[in-house]
Amino acid sequence: MSGLTRNCVARVIIQQLFNGLALGMAYALIAVGYSLVFGILRLINFSHGSIYAFSAHMALLFIGMQFGVIPAIAMSIVLTGLLGVIIDKTALEPLRKKNSIPMAALITTIGMSNIIQNLLMIFFNTERKPFPAFFDFGMIKLGNLQINSTQVVMCIVSLALLILLTLIINKTKLGLSMRATEQNAKAASLMGINTNFIISFTFFMGGASAAIAGALISGYYQIVYPGMGFMVGLKAFAAAVLGGIGVLYGSVVGGLVVGVSESFAATFIGSSYRDSIAFIILILVLILRPTGLFGKKDIKKV
Amino acid sequence: MKRVLTVALALALSVSVLAGCASKPSTTSPATSSAPSAGVIKIAVAGPMTGDNAEYGKGFVNAAKMMADQWNANGGVLGKKIEIVQFDDKNSGEEASSIAQKIISDKDIIGVIGHFASGVCMAAAPTYTENKVIEISPSASHPDYSGIGEYIFRNNTVIDVEAAAALDIAIKDLGKKNIGIISIKTDWGTKTAAIVKDLIAKQASSGAKVVAHEEVMEGSDDYSPAITKLNAAGSDVVICVGMYNLIAPVAKQYKQVNPKIELVGFSNAYSQQLLDLGGKAVEGVRFPVIFFSGSTDPKIKGYVDEYNKRYGSIPSALTSQAYDSTGMLLEAIKAAGSTDRKKVRDALAAIKYDGVTGMTVFNEKRDVQKTFVKVIIKDGKFEAMK
Repeated sequence: MSGLTRNCVARVIIQQLFNGLALGMAYALIAVGYSLVFGILRLINFSHGSIYAFSAHMALLFIGMQFGVIPAIAMSIVLTGLLGVIIDKTALEPLRKKNSIPMAALITTIGMSNIIQNLLMIFFNTERKPFPAFFDFGMIKLGNLQINSTQVVMCIVSLALLILLTLIINKTKLGLSMRATEQNAKAASLMGINTNFIISFTFFMGGASAAIAGALISGYYQIVYPGMGFMVGLKAFAAAVLGGIGVLYGSVVGGLVVGVSESFAATFIGSSYRDSIAFIILILVLILRPTGLFGKKDIKKV
Repeated sequence: MKRVLTVALALALSVSVLAGCASKPSTTSPATSSAPSAGVIKIAVAGPMTGDNAEYGKGFVNAAKMMADQWNANGGVLGKKIEIVQFDDKNSGEEASSIAQKIISDKDIIGVIGHFASGVCMAAAPTYTENKVIEISPSASHPDYSGIGEYIFRNNTVIDVEAAAALDIAIKDLGKKNIGIISIKTDWGTKTAAIVKDLIAKQASSGAKVVAHEEVMEGSDDYSPAITKLNAAGSDVVICVGMYNLIAPVAKQYKQVNPKIELVGFSNAYSQQLLDLGGKAVEGVRFPVIFFSGSTDPKIKGYVDEYNKRYGSIPSALTSQAYDSTGMLLEAIKAAGSTDRKKVRDALAAIKYDGVTGMTVFNEKRDVQKTFVKVIIKDGKFEAMK
């Protein structure tokens, strides 16, 4: 960064911080999906990245059909939520009923991920497709600083949704049932909770939050393609584990840490190292705190 | 191109290893089957006719046949009919060596248009050199290719000429001095970026300088950290060393931060995808190309229309270079006045050929120096810069 004045360096740092925060919030929304499912089933749903790619393609499809951006995204959220439920009902629930080993379910989600991604390739082609920048309001100027309005919108929308999710889980009856199922599924079902419905609902919420992240990230980068969920999915997973998987606010913090460190790595080490930084941090955190930053100690069945 | 070629070569090698002995000898299909062998001049077209790069090889054949038909309609060359013989090298070096053996054993074949990938060309070139068969590759871009022998020519530019053309747009046409570079981290990207930097250093007297250089991973969708750095360094123009999938997102993300930024790309960005993906953001993006199919030049327009009528597609730059290569070889035979290999070679080395890909002259290394057409994106279309 030679040749730049100190003032300039400060400005770059703040701008990179915003680049990172926007990205981190989006990671957080995807990470929440991992956390929700993990909390209830103690299962890492590796199809989540593909679910996210699916949502972006659905939004693109409906926008192409002239439904308008917001209705298109709403439809994509519902469909993606349903996709989550379908994955659970067709592939995971039968495994649970047969009491198969946890590894079987894990491999199944990886298989599902490939199936979804390949179907997307068949129906939408592998090439990159343009996505409208539906929430771009230009640059916001704060004195010397220029902040991208897209990034601000991303941060605000993600934060609002994460708060909404937390409220659903902590303040509603449905949320209570979810927490009960999480603690002890058998006891919860004895108490009259329809655990199968709760699991489906959890998958729906995971899918829906991935769909919102999908719409936001697609609108931000304006690019959609079947492989888009792979790297983002892995980084969001890293974020979830980093924050302590199963803990919602942990996912948020994890997402922000990953996003911001990626952005700073790109600034100070070089853009080519940005993809590895998330995993370097993940490994360091796991060595120091095996349960993640906010993780609970009682995880036994990983 | 280099990168594409390397990938192509790698793929072809692995395919050929897998295919092993199952690979069939390539088919030959004479264009004019009625002509007696004594009265024909044969030109071989060798390239990948099957597999991943088949479109390139087929383009070579289409172009060569079209050129040969035009000559044949005017009585052929030296009073003989021209016959195009095609060989499928599957873009593999081993396959190419055995094809080269086959080609040299046919004494009617004066020259070869092909092969496609640099590495494949270089595998076959020694055989051609020893047996005095002219090889003109419309696509090889490896610096060492044409140095293999006296009979080895290329009708494709090496990358530094293109880099100079891109810089010319940035410095002369746009009049910018503070140059930012964003390049993809591949062999091709890293090498090209280094060449661009070198060239800028050489014209330091004009005041042009590199203010920032960012290397990015190809295919990562978020370029905002790199853009923030380029912008903070005060770039007026950014040279994008990458394909359309770099330029389109960079244009979108950069123009959010700085709508006045000028972007200059390379010829491999010349793709409909760039327009689809970039939308309004790529308006004003400029880059040099060797062959611009949208040209209003009557000669080029006539060629593009004719090609489109015959084959139902728009010819690419490489196809057009194959078209010109065939024309040059025929012109050289005509100038030599005989099919004597040595005479044809000398005529070819001295040729000045005004084809659809511009005026072509071979230098002492049998490489070409071509003039690039500068293209700008205007109103969602490619247009030649005035």
